[in-house]
Amino acid sequence: MAKTKSAMRRKETMYGYIFVMPWIIGFLAFTAGPLLFSLFASFTDYNITTQMDFVGAENYQGLFTEDGLFWTSLWNTLYYVLFSVPLTTMGAIFLSALLNQDVPGIRVFRTLYYLPAVLSGVGVYLLWMQLLDPGTGMINLILGWFGIDGPNWLFDPEWTKPSLIFMKLWSVGGAMLLYLASMQGVSKTLYEAAEIDGANTFRQFFHITLPMITPVIFFDVVTSLIGGFQIFQEAYVMSSNGEGGPANSLLFYNLYMWRQAFENFNMGYAMAMSWILFIIVFILTMINLKLAPRWVHYEGGDNR
Amino acid sequence: MKKMYTVSAAFLASSLFLTGCAGFQTGNGNDSSTENEDGKVVLDFWTFWGSEIRRPVIEKIITDFNESQDEIEVQHTYLPWGDIWTKELAAIAAGDPPDVVINDINTTALRGEQNQAMNLAEFLSEDDISGQFYPELWDATLYEGDSYGIPFNTDTRVLFYNKDAFEEAGLDPEQPPTTWAELEEYAAKLDVKNGDDYERIGFYPLWGINYDVWMLNANGHNFINEENDVLIDTETNLETLEWLKGWKDKYGDDVINSYKAQIDSQQGNPFFNGSLGMYVSAPTFYTQIRDYADDLNFGVAKLPEMEPGNGPTSWGGGFVAEIPAGASNPEASYEFIKYLTGAEAQEYWAVQNFDSVANIEAAENAAQSEEFTEDGTMVYSMATEYMSDTLLTPVPVSAPDFMGSVNPKIDEVFLGSKTPKQALEEAQADVESLIEKNTRE
Repeated sequence: MAKTKSAMRRKETMYGYIFVMPWIIGFLAFTAGPLLFSLFASFTDYNITTQMDFVGAENYQGLFTEDGLFWTSLWNTLYYVLFSVPLTTMGAIFLSALLNQDVPGIRVFRTLYYLPAVLSGVGVYLLWMQLLDPGTGMINLILGWFGIDGPNWLFDPEWTKPSLIFMKLWSVGGAMLLYLASMQGVSKTLYEAAEIDGANTFRQFFHITLPMITPVIFFDVVTSLIGGFQIFQEAYVMSSNGEGGPANSLLFYNLYMWRQAFENFNMGYAMAMSWILFIIVFILTMINLKLAPRWVHYEGGDNR
Repeated sequence: MKKMYTVSAAFLASSLFLTGCAGFQTGNGNDSSTENEDGKVVLDFWTFWGSEIRRPVIEKIITDFNESQDEIEVQHTYLPWGDIWTKELAAIAAGDPPDVVINDINTTALRGEQNQAMNLAEFLSEDDISGQFYPELWDATLYEGDSYGIPFNTDTRVLFYNKDAFEEAGLDPEQPPTTWAELEEYAAKLDVKNGDDYERIGFYPLWGINYDVWMLNANGHNFINEENDVLIDTETNLETLEWLKGWKDKYGDDVINSYKAQIDSQQGNPFFNGSLGMYVSAPTFYTQIRDYADDLNFGVAKLPEMEPGNGPTSWGGGFVAEIPAGASNPEASYEFIKYLTGAEAQEYWAVQNFDSVANIEAAENAAQSEEFTEDGTMVYSMATEYMSDTLLTPVPVSAPDFMGSVNPKIDEVFLGSKTPKQALEEAQADVESLIEKNTRE
């Protein structure tokens, strides 16, 4: 009896491995392999086609000690993450709370607010460049109605990053959908109990809804943090000449990395940059994970 | 134990699969796979010409070539602008590049140095075709004396001006400005103000081109010379930058921004409706006038010179046809490139696209073409004639991305946070240290 059971388990295990094999192969060939290669290449002067001599930590040393643009790009990226992540998270929660009401026509609103998330990429950036245009753009036109002299947005280094953060708020639809789903999953009995105890809508939101959706907030913060550090396309399309201008104010980390890799063919240097970014994001994610038990509430378990 | 066996069997299977992949890949690079069933050599030709105007033209050229001989069959692959060169690089690194690719002329030498493009010296020593092309274009393809790409097309920057507006302002419509001083004087006469608003702006030098074209115009040479000397912080550049800043201060941010947006929108270019008197652009701007402002009475001229005798230098770019390093049939590739850049194909391209081509004979024939209108012929022959005063700016192999260090500094001048002198000094220092860093060891 015991023997057949263990034979069956072995068989099951084997099938299990066979079934995950495509993933394992894909992982080894297309993720782990290139990953290890890039780690190795970051210690060389790799230029894609001819050279690949080992240079030790020279790339890393160069980045930290003699490359001003490295620090500029890192600062720009941090600035963007620091503002865009909290703002988009709050925006998405706020929007989903509004759309979680039981009013006629709510489906139409949900669709409308989600719509921008469907659109993406270069088309949207070009649209925003028109909207943000200081001379003829819609945004400054509307500000003008209220007597506000709008800024130069993408032409003024002080306003370029806020412009992109502002633009990012437009596409919170994806996160909003997640929040909406998790809000709908919150048990009605909790609200009923709170109502009997005399809690108003605000209290209900802050003491029931928010704590109940913390796992989703956690997920959203971690993923948008990682996404925020990888900002590239926006700056590539919307900055002057795709160089990160004016005055390097949109020179984000990945844009600078791309320039090093594909304009200067300093692939080894760019690889070193990518590993530094990886370490930064890894540390921040770890901090997030460590802090999570203090504020993330999982139903039906003690923080696990 | 058994579990270990299963796991290792699984890994063995996956590694077998991977080595299988590797074997397959190396097998793919050799000649056998590039022949079709008729025994013709098949070439993969990459371009970014996918628009409804350009695609039929390049495909007609390819068809003509395919029909002209029975050894080679060229197949066209369209890749979007921007993607094409990163994809090419990946393909070269993977050992399976296309056979011919259209690439940027100003970075050809860099790809020669980086061993991404094939050295064409071997073909050229047997069959020297260099004389067919504008020397400035040919020189841009050279790295250490050898060519790494054959010039295909090019452009220059010319001054378009509104003849009716000239007349209205009391200027001779057949006498466009020839110096910077005249340019300023004419622009002031062409300005029409209604209170604080401009009804017409005479000229603004930074619409259509960047500050660097004016510096090239003033200097007659690039920022970095062949000896790697950095020539950014110079008296001429300082004068140019101050001159440009003067224009900016004259019209002010608001006017400049709102006009800029109209220029960027193409159809709405203020030059079309007469609210901009003069405008610098590439000769192909004529096709926009033709499409959006057919009855505009305009003329074209060379860029004014800084001072009399300084020379009306202009700037051009362009594209070359290259054979990527590691391509499997270079002889056939070269054969096709010769056709592509030969007089017949080039003339066809020039006439159909109203585009300046690299082949001198083709460009001169196109300028006589009966397919162009009178205006078209005027612009095209002017552009052809201007090639002798047009410079290219090949990127220096010692600092390909050096403009990335200069542009932000100049931005700050126009934003008002740096003086021209500071900006040029800093840019000079940055580029010098960049070159020093890249040429070390």
